[in-house]
Amino acid sequence: MFEESITPITPDPISARVLAPEGEPIEFIYNGRKFHIHAIVSRWRESGGWWNRISDGKNRVTEANIFDDGARAIWRVEAAPEGALSTFEIELDEVTKTWLIRPTSRPL
Amino acid sequence: MKSFTHLRVASGYSFKYGTAHANQLVERAAEFEMPALALTDIDTMAGAIRFTKSCEASGIAPILGINLSFVQKKYRVTLLAQGGHLDSLYRLVTEINSSSSDGLLTHALLERFSQYSKNILILHGPESQLAQAIASRKSAEALSIFSATRGLFADQAVECVSHLIRGDGPLSTSYAARMLGFARDNQLPAILSNAVRMLDRSDGPVADVLDAARKLVPLSSKTVNRQNSEAYFKDSSAMAHLADEISRLAGERDGKTLLNTTTDWAARAILSPRKDVGIGEIHLPDPASLGAKNQIELAAQLRSRCEAGLSRRYVGAKSVVAASRLEEELSAIRTLGYESYFLTVADITDMSREKGIRVAARGSGAGSLICHVLGISGVEPITHGLLMERFCSPLRGELPDIDIDVESARRLEIYGAIFEKYGQRCATVSMVETYRSRHAIRDVGAALGISPMEIDLIAKSMPHIRSSNIPKALANLPELKHLNLDTPILKMAIELAGRLDSLPRHLSMHPCAIVLADSKLGDCAPQQINASGYPMVQFDKDDVEAIGLLKLDVLGVRMQSAISYTLSEIERIEGKPLDIDAIPLDDKQTFDLIKSTRTLGIFQIESPGQRELVGKFAPDTFNDLIIDISLFRPGPVKSDMITPFLATRHGLRIRPRIHEDLEDILRETEGVVVFHEQVIRIISVMTGITLAEADEKRRQLGDIANQQAVCDWFYPAALARGYTDLVVTEVWEILRAFASFGFCKAHAAAFALPTYQSSWLKTHHTAAFLAGVLTHEPGMYPKRVILDEARQWGIKLAAIDVNLSDATYRVERTSDVARAPYLAPDVASSGEPLKLPDARGFAIRMALSDIDGIDSKEVENIISGRPYLDLADFVYRSGASRPTTQSLLMVGAFDDLHKLATSNLNRRDLLLHLQDLYRLAGSKSTTSQSQMTFELQPPRLEPSGLPDITASEQVKSEIDILGMDISSHLLEFYGDFLNKIGAVRSSDLIKHRSGTSVLVAGVKVALQTPPVRSGRRVMFLTIDDGFGCNDITFFEDKQADFASTLRNSWLFLVRGEIRRTGPRGISLLGTGAWELAISYEKWRNLAVYGASGTHE
Repeated sequence: MFEESITPITPDPISARVLAPEGEPIEFIYNGRKFHIHAIVSRWRESGGWWNRISDGKNRVTEANIFDDGARAIWRVEAAPEGALSTFEIELDEVTKTWLIRPTSRPL
Repeated sequence: MKSFTHLRVASGYSFKYGTAHANQLVERAAEFEMPALALTDIDTMAGAIRFTKSCEASGIAPILGINLSFVQKKYRVTLLAQGGHLDSLYRLVTEINSSSSDGLLTHALLERFSQYSKNILILHGPESQLAQAIASRKSAEALSIFSATRGLFADQAVECVSHLIRGDGPLSTSYAARMLGFARDNQLPAILSNAVRMLDRSDGPVADVLDAARKLVPLSSKTVNRQNSEAYFKDSSAMAHLADEISRLAGERDGKTLLNTTTDWAARAILSPRKDVGIGEIHLPDPASLGAKNQIELAAQLRSRCEAGLSRRYVGAKSVVAASRLEEELSAIRTLGYESYFLTVADITDMSREKGIRVAARGSGAGSLICHVLGISGVEPITHGLLMERFCSPLRGELPDIDIDVESARRLEIYGAIFEKYGQRCATVSMVETYRSRHAIRDVGAALGISPMEIDLIAKSMPHIRSSNIPKALANLPELKHLNLDTPILKMAIELAGRLDSLPRHLSMHPCAIVLADSKLGDCAPQQINASGYPMVQFDKDDVEAIGLLKLDVLGVRMQSAISYTLSEIERIEGKPLDIDAIPLDDKQTFDLIKSTRTLGIFQIESPGQRELVGKFAPDTFNDLIIDISLFRPGPVKSDMITPFLATRHGLRIRPRIHEDLEDILRETEGVVVFHEQVIRIISVMTGITLAEADEKRRQLGDIANQQAVCDWFYPAALARGYTDLVVTEVWEILRAFASFGFCKAHAAAFALPTYQSSWLKTHHTAAFLAGVLTHEPGMYPKRVILDEARQWGIKLAAIDVNLSDATYRVERTSDVARAPYLAPDVASSGEPLKLPDARGFAIRMALSDIDGIDSKEVENIISGRPYLDLADFVYRSGASRPTTQSLLMVGAFDDLHKLATSNLNRRDLLLHLQDLYRLAGSKSTTSQSQMTFELQPPRLEPSGLPDITASEQVKSEIDILGMDISSHLLEFYGDFLNKIGAVRSSDLIKHRSGTSVLVAGVKVALQTPPVRSGRRVMFLTIDDGFGCNDITFFEDKQADFASTLRNSWLFLVRGEIRRTGPRGISLLGTGAWELAISYEKWRNLAVYGASGTHE
């Protein structure tokens, strides 16, 4: 599955504002520029490792769920500011409900 | 939007895999308005019946299947029964399980059983060999895999699953899309499933814990395969969304085709709960299994066997009554068509007796005259007022349930005989073991890597409670106070253990149930071969009842083995057999023994509570025993039925007479309603309905919700028969209050029979009976207490002897003078004097099998090598290991052989001699387990001049090696001390007034802390002092000071207040408890140094 791993040149994700009126992202602001999502290339979900968060004391516990399973949903999208197309990963941290974003092809 | 049907769902019956109960999944499906739902557990169909029942209740169409290994262990496929063909799936599953232990389906099996598989649908999912080939882009190979099974199944489909895993491996969207693409390119059907194993997305951690418990590894990123929590029960719109995503990635416009095919396949697999699964059906043994051609012949066979039994058992006027009762019962059985069931059970009890195995019926079946005359039940029902209607009637919707008690030691012989005769018509029943608190906390702890010590402490202190009650239990357990249960890891562990609550863990064999059906059994239930090698239906006892399979419980009862052993010893010693089933039931001496409360070893009435009750009650007749057994249960104890009964019995209260019509019914129990049979009769007499109808009313009374309806019916019905308002009200109050506490008299009577028989044997053949109790250990007391009981009746305890001891305890005649037997002391309040057994002249020879560490092969070898000339001969020929030989020597097994009593040799000399023997034999002997070879003549045995071991050393060896004190009672070493401080022997307590404070001493027999509804803990301590047992009750106010002594000590000095509760009923109210050795030391120091003060 090497093609899926993030290469070292990929920048770290940063917090971002994402517009997702029905759960799926449509637009986001990255580095002060507004991007429009043209297509979702793929999406997946990840979770697990809750037991490590307990022993590390990094357990982000909510009322509804005392297990922090680190659930996250990831979209790999093609997006462009003003007609320039590039690829990003937008991640919703479902525990804290914050969005993270990182480009996976070099933005123009 | 169209509803989705999940075709691949693993419930908790997928042991240590599925996190949801079958009924939760069904409820969720109902919530999502799904029309149908499949259950496809891993390797088992154990959840099928519960699932189907839930589906029926929720109006959802059930689909049944199984997920199993195919071709190779690593490849898995899902099979679904086609509608109308569930029997084929059951049969195939049975065949798979009978031919391989790991449930692997192979092509060879498929070809052999294609008559079944051609009615079955197969899904090739992401774990299949097909998927593997598609993933490696080997289309041609994939197609050939698919073609290889083409003709063998009714139909096959590609199963697409996306758990939204990152990348393109199994369970990713792109993997699913590739499988869909393959199906489309080759015009094969493809369906969508979600391979469900959880109810909610938040159940991921539970799944991880189950995975870890299954694989026996702790949780770590290396051991956990789960990458997200998508294997949950998604709703239709989420599934439609997935269908779209997969289909688009496969190059299609949307997921419609995929969803439509899924719906079509669901429709093909829908089952009818009644027609297919057989809920509510009945499958009785067929006439052919009993050598009859049809039902009419069966009926004739039953009649002739019953009539023959009747004429053997009844004479004179009684036989007329019995004959008319038999007609009634036969006609009820005729209506129900149960002839074959009765005949089959009778056949099985006959087979057992032919093998010389004792059988007794238990339960309501003893109320049936048919059961009695067929020899199934030993209790005579008419004299004791037992009713057939309580057992089975045409009005009842459920199958009758006959249970038989057999000798525990020979139970499997009966299983063998049943399977030999009934073959495919019978099978054992399974039992689902579920997660309870202890297991849950252990598995969670192991998964989370919590230190084993900590987990062990928590697990051990967990009573057997539901794991959802763990937090409450932990808060209340004093021994866990110092554990910090607020650490995040422990909190998490406790939460997780709660989530495992009552999930199935394992399928095991029900300890006693066998289903007896017709030759169609295999069509009604899938089977596997269980660990004991018996065919076992994958359904539990409730499931088999739901689909109308008759079951017979064959319970192993140790008391039956003990009785059987007693009878064989009697025959061996006295030279003539004894028919215990023919003894009169009114032997005065037997009741004298019961009244003396010296009931240790006797069936049902040996516990401290029962000893107190028989002491209060003083039963005089067999019927009294039935009452006694019925009263000694939580209901009557709690509702205090015992007090008014005993008050009337002892003449302290005048029995209330409600109405003369009820006199016959209530006289035996002094006006208190004790039995179901009485309730049935009262209702029948007062309203004029039949007994069968009255039993239906009684059943309704048991449920508070139905009581008002019965009341509304009872009043007018009884008033119409001319009873006054007052009488009707009074009777109604009794019925309402006692109906639920009542006991089935037939059941109590069935228990009373072995109670009486064992009492009779203890009275008249004390040594043989106690040898039987020691050999088969039927009761609650440790062997050392039973041994002391033997001592108290004047029986000599003969040490283990290599030439005389057997594997079991043997009775011998002896001329040795033993101590005088126990005589119940008589005081003014103890009722008439009792005549008790005198067993002097008998000895019980200790058994070889009690030597610590000896195995049965060694015992066998020692016995076959007898007689031995001396120790050297024994070492040379017996094949016993060195530790065993040394243990034998230490407990005196060579004393008589070497005439230690009369020679100048002692045991120390023998020990030295043993060392010499082994030294001489050299190292060669250690290589061979069996017999040793001496190169030289054995060394001579000579007195060494060393002192012999002391009496206390001897008792210590006995306790270490045998776990029992044989040569003398442990307390004898404190005799002097106890006499000086005025401690009272248990047998003398009765001579003291109620309310007196006394000191008693003894060895711990039992400490019980039963849960009490009030929440206040009561501790019951039983100790024995060589003269009997003391039963002491400690209430909460004394526990703070003494609880830890009670828990941790073995030898006790106890202070208590005497409570006299009846003619010979005594109990002690504990006011203090000390460790005997410590009290003794203090006393000795005081005596030596002359200090003043009491022993405290």
